[in-house]
Amino acid sequence: MDKKLALYICKGCSIGESIKLEKIETVSKNKMKVPVVKNHETLCGTEGIAMIKADIAAEGVNTLVLAACSGRVKYEEFDFPGCIVERVPVRELAVWSQEKSDAQQAAEDYIQMGIIKAQKGDMPEPYLMETVKDILVIGGGVAGMNAALQSANSGYNVVLVEKEAALGGFSAKLYKKIPTTLPFREPLIVDVDLEPTIRSVESNANIKVFKSAKVEKIEGQPGAFDVTISSNGSSEAVKIGAVILAAGWKPYDASKLGHLGYGKFKDVVTQVELEEIAKKGGIARPSDGKPAKKVAFIQCAGQRDANHLPYCSAMCCAASLKQAKYVRQDPDAIAMILYKDMRTPGRTEYYYKEAQNDPGVMLTKADVSGVSEGADGNLYVEMKDSLLGSSVKLEADLVVLATGMVPATADDPVLNLQYRQGPGLPDLELFNGFADSNFICFQYETRRTGVFAAGAVRQPMNMTEAQEDATGAALKAIQSAEHVAVGMSVHPRSWDLTFPDPMMTRCTSCKRCTEECPFGAIDEDEKGTPFFKPGRCRRCATCMGACPERIVSFKDYHVDMIGSMMKSTSIPDDEDEPRVFVICCENDAYPAIDTAALQKMKLDPAARFITLRCLGSMNLVWLADAFSRGVDGMLLMGCKFGENYQCHFAKGSELANYRLGKVQETLDRLQLEADRVKLVEVAIDEYGKVTQIINDFVDKIKEIGPNPFKGM
Amino acid sequence: MSDQILKPDLEFTKEIIAAGGESLKKCYQCSTCTVVCDVTPDRKPFPRKEMLYAQWGLKDKLLASPDVWLCHQCSDCTAHCPRGAKPGEVLGAVRKMTIQEFSSPSFMGKMVNDSKFLLLLFAIPTIIFLFELFIQGHLTNGIPRIPNGQLMSYSLMFPPTLYIDTVFVPVAFFAAFMFFKGIKNYWAAMSANYPAPPRKDVITPLAETVREILTHSVFEKCGVSKDRSIAHKILFYSFIGLAITTTLAASYIYVFDYNGPYPQTNIVKWIGNVSGVAMLIGITMIVMNRIKNKEKVGAGSYFDWFFIVVVYGVGLTGMLAQILRLANIPVLGYPMYFAHLVFVFVLFAYAPYSKMAHMVYRTTAMVFAKYSKRS
Repeated sequence: MDKKLALYICKGCSIGESIKLEKIETVSKNKMKVPVVKNHETLCGTEGIAMIKADIAAEGVNTLVLAACSGRVKYEEFDFPGCIVERVPVRELAVWSQEKSDAQQAAEDYIQMGIIKAQKGDMPEPYLMETVKDILVIGGGVAGMNAALQSANSGYNVVLVEKEAALGGFSAKLYKKIPTTLPFREPLIVDVDLEPTIRSVESNANIKVFKSAKVEKIEGQPGAFDVTISSNGSSEAVKIGAVILAAGWKPYDASKLGHLGYGKFKDVVTQVELEEIAKKGGIARPSDGKPAKKVAFIQCAGQRDANHLPYCSAMCCAASLKQAKYVRQDPDAIAMILYKDMRTPGRTEYYYKEAQNDPGVMLTKADVSGVSEGADGNLYVEMKDSLLGSSVKLEADLVVLATGMVPATADDPVLNLQYRQGPGLPDLELFNGFADSNFICFQYETRRTGVFAAGAVRQPMNMTEAQEDATGAALKAIQSAEHVAVGMSVHPRSWDLTFPDPMMTRCTSCKRCTEECPFGAIDEDEKGTPFFKPGRCRRCATCMGACPERIVSFKDYHVDMIGSMMKSTSIPDDEDEPRVFVICCENDAYPAIDTAALQKMKLDPAARFITLRCLGSMNLVWLADAFSRGVDGMLLMGCKFGENYQCHFAKGSELANYRLGKVQETLDRLQLEADRVKLVEVAIDEYGKVTQIINDFVDKIKEIGPNPFKGM
Repeated sequence: MSDQILKPDLEFTKEIIAAGGESLKKCYQCSTCTVVCDVTPDRKPFPRKEMLYAQWGLKDKLLASPDVWLCHQCSDCTAHCPRGAKPGEVLGAVRKMTIQEFSSPSFMGKMVNDSKFLLLLFAIPTIIFLFELFIQGHLTNGIPRIPNGQLMSYSLMFPPTLYIDTVFVPVAFFAAFMFFKGIKNYWAAMSANYPAPPRKDVITPLAETVREILTHSVFEKCGVSKDRSIAHKILFYSFIGLAITTTLAASYIYVFDYNGPYPQTNIVKWIGNVSGVAMLIGITMIVMNRIKNKEKVGAGSYFDWFFIVVVYGVGLTGMLAQILRLANIPVLGYPMYFAHLVFVFVLFAYAPYSKMAHMVYRTTAMVFAKYSKRS
């Protein structure tokens, strides 16, 4: 597209009083060659918008630089379809957050950067390929069946793969379930009643069910996955748009719980085994078949325990309450629940309240130290430091262990992806093997685009929650399939039509991009040359930051664009006035800064803010260039990384930090101090802290002294 | 220490629930109750552990412990309980069960706490006093005859020495003996449960306890139902006043051979009337507090209300009998006096089984707690 630029400067919101427009307008016209340069009292008003629209119509203007307010406000007013719109936040960064004496220079710098960005960017053209929208659901339990039904009922074809011979998953093994609707009332146990769901799945024309089946491999990319399903010795290939992983869980191996008597005494069973016992009718002891009158439930058996499962499985407390009601079907029998803490999240708290009203359901906090057999052949549960006494025993006919949930993904990739980065989901150790993500805003997503997790494979949960989870994951899978079909990123940049377009002729096959891509979007061909799969890409541009050859570009985002913007920024001649670049993530750090500016908090005049899609796209060449120009310091603001990461792209800020480890070499070469570069982790709500962070950094730079390259 | 084997007893839990602790199963052991309680000791505080014992039906731990009596049922716990488990009410029920457990004969305890036997309990003194009227020839065709023609005097109806004291002196001895038996059992049970090194003397703990009771120093720590301490104090001292009145009146008859009715200016009338009015004020305040705090602390049980009604009955009939005598309305005065005797009988004869017993059990528990260095 032939671009015709126009710069519009708004004089409203005290911009007009703080800034001399003539100089900026002259420079923009003559030096920057912007053909149309105008100003307006209130650009966002009807008149201002009409003026822009008239220029679009009459002058053929299609690339707009709006020097007014932040792009986080007035986005409905400044919406011009078919045009590239570059918002320059003069109001926030040059006026409201600056003293009057510093405003002019800041406004000039930001407007110049905006013009360069507009000049260097291009209108995105989507990456289009032949796609399908069919959805693969792995797992035929409650989560899987509901995900399949939700997708099918929304008009999508579904392929459901179940490893067992029948649908139902774990729920089919249960005697009774907790009611799914409030209010919870006696008898508090209801039939599992899976049959209607199984029937609707099996009779749904949009759902194809594979039983006793397994996903052998998944190749390709979202919208065009090639999935091979093996079932009963034969393989079938299907084309899939998006995947819902609902592979469920298995109970923790109770044979590791010898100290609680499992394996040693016949009458020590797991919750799952108690379901089987109850299904046969009555609570009969395995040892002699006699009805159990005193049943002890040991909660957290091998859970919240560093030697076993370190986490809480969330559903076992409610499950024991439910099983206590099995016991209480015999009015003389008592159920004794011994817990570390009763944990009944969400609505199950009401279940707890209701279940404990039964006098025969006795509960106590206890540190169970072991299970032993008395001389009389009875079982005794030993407890320490309980309110009932410092060292006490309870006699029991039957002991039930609440062993936890182990996700299917803990020791099996399940997906069997044919990706360069491996067959499963990466870094699941962060979530104890669960296919979870830490993205507050992007539930169900995994580190593999187009693959969404639902149910107990994602987090420990009960059947009701798994059902809700299934709906959420189905919606995400549908969104993914639809976005990929029009060449649009899935999330979090769910509007983005750009895609990485590497200049492969200059690729040295160093493989940094393939290794660093958080989403495994880059495979390699036979010769080891990176091979981009745009459907898998989330457009974070981590590859662009990683590439030492700087060959990865997006239509509106590339190394040269950001580098040129940095190069255009003024560097004060005065040695006492440092220049600091604050390179910040546009998702969290920049909104925090913008919020601070909107609240008219003062930002240090030494700082110039440059936003990146993700800190992962930070290319070290920018640092080298900036320092050799005389910039005194570089502050990188990204999201928290590590265990409780907040990065929208999971690894971006962590990778930026990793690259900074290597920047030392560059600084040494330039004979500069290491402290001139710093990475800080900032959350979106920490706007109260950003001014201090920046001030501290500028003070540090002043202490170090001016960059010796200044003025060279 | 070897492991203690716990004996959960579902039936005992059900008994507590039936005795007025119906909310006890709502407790989820958060310990808010123990934290807000200003009366509880720092070490092994109540009422959380009692709530747990009650849920598990651990009878021995609950009944053979002084702790349930160290609670003065301020009901701060009940007001702050996030689950509505009403620890105050539950402990109240447990105290009632303690009285029933240690008092004898046990059928008496059951009768006093069961509304089915209410009529019978009142019928016993009614029959006794009607019988006295009968042997004096005051009954015509079963209808009591109102003594007339003379100056109104209740000793015309029941001459004190023969017809009053022959009933009430044995009643007092019966009550005292039953109390003694009860607290002996209770002390023994507590001693078995608390092998803590006891102090040598019981006198110091007893003196401390009496001082605490006289000053209501523990009761005054209450928060939500603070007014109860004032009401209880008034009622408590009114009972002491009435005890003095009775002692004085007895000494007039037996030492000075000076029989009533006494002039209103006599010291015995002064003390008696002040105490009687105080009794009515105190018990009225207690009822009003209960009504006011019903939402927060619960409505109380039959056990509580039985005692309240009897105290009311004693006070009202007593004052009215005196007023009617002074107003010289024999047709109402004599029956009122009769009713007064019935109420007084009910108050004292059933004291070892009614809430009246709390004065003895609580005192015992407080002494034991100090004696065994509990606190």
